[in-house]
Amino acid sequence: MGRVARALIIHELLERARDRWVIVTTLLFALLATGIAAYGRSAGDAAAVVTAPSLVTLNAFLVPLVALILGHDAIVGERERHTLGLLVSLPVSRWEILVAKFVGRGLALCVAICVGFGAAAVWLSPAQRPVVLSLLGPSILLGASFLSLGVLLSSASRKVATAASLAVVSWFLLILFYDLALLTAMVATDGALSQDTVAWLVTLNPAGLYRTSLMNQLVGVDALKELGLVVSMPGSRARAMVWFAWIALPLVAGAGLLSRRHAVTA
Amino acid sequence: MKLNVDDIAVRFGPVRALGGVSMALDAGQVTVMAGPNGSGKSTLMSVLLGLIRPDEGQVTADGRLVCDRSRLSTSWFRERIGYLPEAPAFSETLSGRQIMRFFASARGLPRARIEVVIERVGLAHAAARPVRGYSRGMRQRLALGCAILHTPEVLILDEPTGGLDQQGLAVLWEILDEWRKAGRTVLMSSHELALVERRADRVVVMVDGKVIAAGTPDELRSQSGLKPEVRIGPGLDEIYEELVGGVSWDVSPAH
Repeated sequence: MGRVARALIIHELLERARDRWVIVTTLLFALLATGIAAYGRSAGDAAAVVTAPSLVTLNAFLVPLVALILGHDAIVGERERHTLGLLVSLPVSRWEILVAKFVGRGLALCVAICVGFGAAAVWLSPAQRPVVLSLLGPSILLGASFLSLGVLLSSASRKVATAASLAVVSWFLLILFYDLALLTAMVATDGALSQDTVAWLVTLNPAGLYRTSLMNQLVGVDALKELGLVVSMPGSRARAMVWFAWIALPLVAGAGLLSRRHAVTA
Repeated sequence: MKLNVDDIAVRFGPVRALGGVSMALDAGQVTVMAGPNGSGKSTLMSVLLGLIRPDEGQVTADGRLVCDRSRLSTSWFRERIGYLPEAPAFSETLSGRQIMRFFASARGLPRARIEVVIERVGLAHAAARPVRGYSRGMRQRLALGCAILHTPEVLILDEPTGGLDQQGLAVLWEILDEWRKAGRTVLMSSHELALVERRADRVVVMVDGKVIAAGTPDELRSQSGLKPEVRIGPGLDEIYEELVGGVSWDVSPAH
């Protein structure tokens, strides 16, 4: 990455550190995580086991929201402020601008996630902290997926308000309605959908992939089986490909949109 | 750096934004583009800045290709231009110094250069404050500072006088004079011709994507059919400069 892109990464991080929406959602995340951990503390030695699944559920809702907020105005915000042309006129390619904005905002997202987990970890004993801290990596992957989606929506939109609306709709669709739609499909097809198909459909949604991978890791396959939940999840290589696709493909599409004729001037 | 704009045409669907525009931007000259909204001034600037590719024609700088229908403005050229967009709105939460720091880092400049430019554009007293507390004129001066940070060979200014008070205009005129004397190239667009006519070495008038007149202000005056006007006494801008510059005079009525 060139000099301009590196400078843009630091600039983005500085700007996000002062973004009131990012600060508010980070504090909210830390508060809720603290609440979960403090409540789970009453379970004594089993605190981490009680706390971790609840944190997974919290993260599955909040992390995508924070990520979409961070990403939605990455490009369209510059366009509305009449500074996108200024950025593009620097000796830097458009894809570098997009990636630099993703990385800079991604670093801010990492800080937000670490603050949340840090707040939870404070309530646990040192022996139990690794269980909760093992959620950090997958949470960052979840955040990166939705941040990438947010940047794509930003590249595709003409106004910040439009990008914000699309971000909210995306959150509802992927976090709330996707699983309901899947359940509806299973009921409507009267079980015609195979377990493998359902497993793949769950995995293809980054929020679903996040939840099922971590539940598998935390609670164990047998416990899931007893609850009648899907256990034949795609392997680790397939899951890695899904993460990669969700992070890379929106950025590639965003770079393509930014390269359009009217992308900067209209 | 001498720029040659050769037969540049740009179409956006059925709309012809630029129709075969040609002009020469000489080193050591301030060229002002004038014309109504939609005349193609910003589109031509966008071509030079690498924001859009022309459909026809090419731009060269000192004989070296900058852009044509197959490519946007090269990196080499964009290293050498400074751009002031119309009414830019920088991040309100960052200070002027932090905004400039980004552009300095992007251009590989030392931090000491930032302080020199901040002083130059008259923002030393406000550089540490968030941009949200800046007036429109201060934001314009900040943008001007960002454009000249790396002492570009070509300055491209889109409506640079917007929002500037007399002090801000004085800073702008000084910078234009400095660029002219150093043999650098300036291209600016303006609606405020009365304000810029004394500073322009060449004026290019554009309408509907075409150049309809070009020349020095005196050449345009002699070509026009308008009657000459003689003004006796200083202009209001000169009176203001004298007042604000510290000299005040009593305007009490005669007894």
